[in-house]
Amino acid sequence: MKRSLQFTFLVLACLFFTASCMEEQDFDQIDDLSITPTLATSLFYFESDEQTINDSSALRTFYSQTFDFEAFNESYVAERLLEGTITYEMENTTSKNLQLTIEFLDEAGNVLDAELFQIEANAVEPLVREVFYGPGGRSLALLTTTSQLRVTASNLSDATSVSSNPEPKIKLRSAAEFLFQLK
Amino acid sequence: MRLVSKPLLLALFAICSLSAQNKELLYDFYEIPQALMLNPGVKTSQNWHVGVPVLSGLSVQAATSGVTVNDLFADDGIDFTTKVQERLLDVMTRKDDFSSTSQIEGFTVGFRGKNRPDDYYSFGMYGETDIIAYWPKDLAILAFEGNGGANIGRSFDLGDLNVRGEMINVFHFGINRKMGNSLTIGARAKLYSSIFQFQSIKNSGSFVTTQGQDNIYVSTINADLQLQTAGVKGFYDIVEDDTSSSRRSDVKRLFTERVLLGGNLGLGFDAGFSYELNPQTTITASVLDVGFIYNSKDVWNYTLNGTANTEGVTVYLPEDINDLDNDLWQELIDDIEEDLPHGEDTSGYISFRPVKAYGSLRYDFGEGGNPIVDNCGCGVNAGGGSNRNYYRNSVGGQLFMMKRPRGIQAALTGFYQRRFGKTLALKTTYTVDKYSWTNIGAGLNLQAGPINFYVLADNLLSYANIADSHYVSLQFGFNIISWNDN
Repeated sequence: MKRSLQFTFLVLACLFFTASCMEEQDFDQIDDLSITPTLATSLFYFESDEQTINDSSALRTFYSQTFDFEAFNESYVAERLLEGTITYEMENTTSKNLQLTIEFLDEAGNVLDAELFQIEANAVEPLVREVFYGPGGRSLALLTTTSQLRVTASNLSDATSVSSNPEPKIKLRSAAEFLFQLK
Repeated sequence: MRLVSKPLLLALFAICSLSAQNKELLYDFYEIPQALMLNPGVKTSQNWHVGVPVLSGLSVQAATSGVTVNDLFADDGIDFTTKVQERLLDVMTRKDDFSSTSQIEGFTVGFRGKNRPDDYYSFGMYGETDIIAYWPKDLAILAFEGNGGANIGRSFDLGDLNVRGEMINVFHFGINRKMGNSLTIGARAKLYSSIFQFQSIKNSGSFVTTQGQDNIYVSTINADLQLQTAGVKGFYDIVEDDTSSSRRSDVKRLFTERVLLGGNLGLGFDAGFSYELNPQTTITASVLDVGFIYNSKDVWNYTLNGTANTEGVTVYLPEDINDLDNDLWQELIDDIEEDLPHGEDTSGYISFRPVKAYGSLRYDFGEGGNPIVDNCGCGVNAGGGSNRNYYRNSVGGQLFMMKRPRGIQAALTGFYQRRFGKTLALKTTYTVDKYSWTNIGAGLNLQAGPINFYVLADNLLSYANIADSHYVSLQFGFNIISWNDN
């Protein structure tokens, strides 16, 4: 009895362990997995009405501010950033010629990079600029070491004219679309 | 092709896939005592049975309704990222799942009442692990492709996150009663002792990036997410405690405590019947694990709930002309966190067991003279001193349904069973469910004197390349059965 049971189990075990096959599998392939999503986000938006510009004197800066900006220098982001584009769009429906500067500063306040925009009064078309960072473009290090932005807006015209446009304003839009290497 | 050991294979598969709990081979295979666990009202012929401790009932099932191990890891020279893109991201839907279930019977005992031979009592203890994770399609696409490029305007469904798992120990006691020559009914009470449980099954929300109102883009997240865990943190804390020199023994101690009713407890029941429409035709049905566990100990929950949108750092003049501090970035972060509060709590919660239901129609034919025993002493039958006719063959169909986080999961099975005298019975099944349309299974029950051995295996066609299988199931066990009248 015992022997027959052992025999049966042995036969079953043999059948079970040998009847199943598996094609060659290479689990190390997971090391080759590349996950590179493209992430998009708005960065900075600036808007001013014409009255605010007129309230400051002619030919002078009417807004300037430096503020922390940690979007790119977070270690998780900085280590995985591959390339990307920052897009700026500027509209001006005021009666002033205007200049707007965005400076990228490191922790010590040193200027790493700057974007200068000059736009004439009552601009029909928005000013659009795309800045590429990465291979063939500007260095990614300019972004990954940026910890502050300084925004300066200046009036290059008089301080009395008033646009005939409804709700005359200057608007600066900006957004980033970056490729990341998550794995 | 190369030969591999089954345990290794199953372990790999279980790791790579996470339930098909359908045990279509065991269901109504009444020569096997463990069939009582699938239908407390199954026909019982034995006088008593005792399962060989730990070896009376072992079952492992692993299933994936989408990609297989072979799809991804075959050594076929195709770039792995391409395979993930084409075989996972492009093909799998939020209804696809990875699941795994395993059961191990600690002990099981059954006996016929001396004073009430119509009744067959059974009790025991078994452990069960059950995990199911639905494919989080939108979250996977968000991770692989991001929200930029062609995905601007695409709404990612956060409700795709749906995962549930538990490890429990079950103490049970059941009564099977013959109500006459045609009807057998049964019920089983269960006491659940939870080792751990986690679930994140009631999630909703979305993440979308669209053209902004002021800035170029606006990113909006609307989230109602919740992860509930009970019994997990205790193990996590032990494993994470670098200063502990008794990590292994601490885990053992906590595990043993939880197995022996020291953790969260719950109650449930099974019920079922078998009814002979005529001497050759039988219908059966059962419902299993109608129950719950109240999780109040070692609870750790995480919630994320709210709506936030951002167009980046914004400056509006003249409103912000005097707001010249340096904290615009931090204010942005603070605003998002305020709109999208996340938190932890230790509130108790109730988790429901995955309810299962079986039904079958069986037609017996090929009269074989003597039944499995000459006289089982089983009450109604014994009372008359004669057993019902014994048929060598059975053919029929079974229906299985199971409550899953995303609805009812069903399987339809056709089966044929052949009995060779008192010692051997074979059953083969063909099952159609979401995991496979080619699932052919086979089971064997061997009765050598009082020793009973059974082995049941599913999806045999996949054994040619088991890594390419969507479903693997194996059950086996040893019992000692007395068919004698006393």
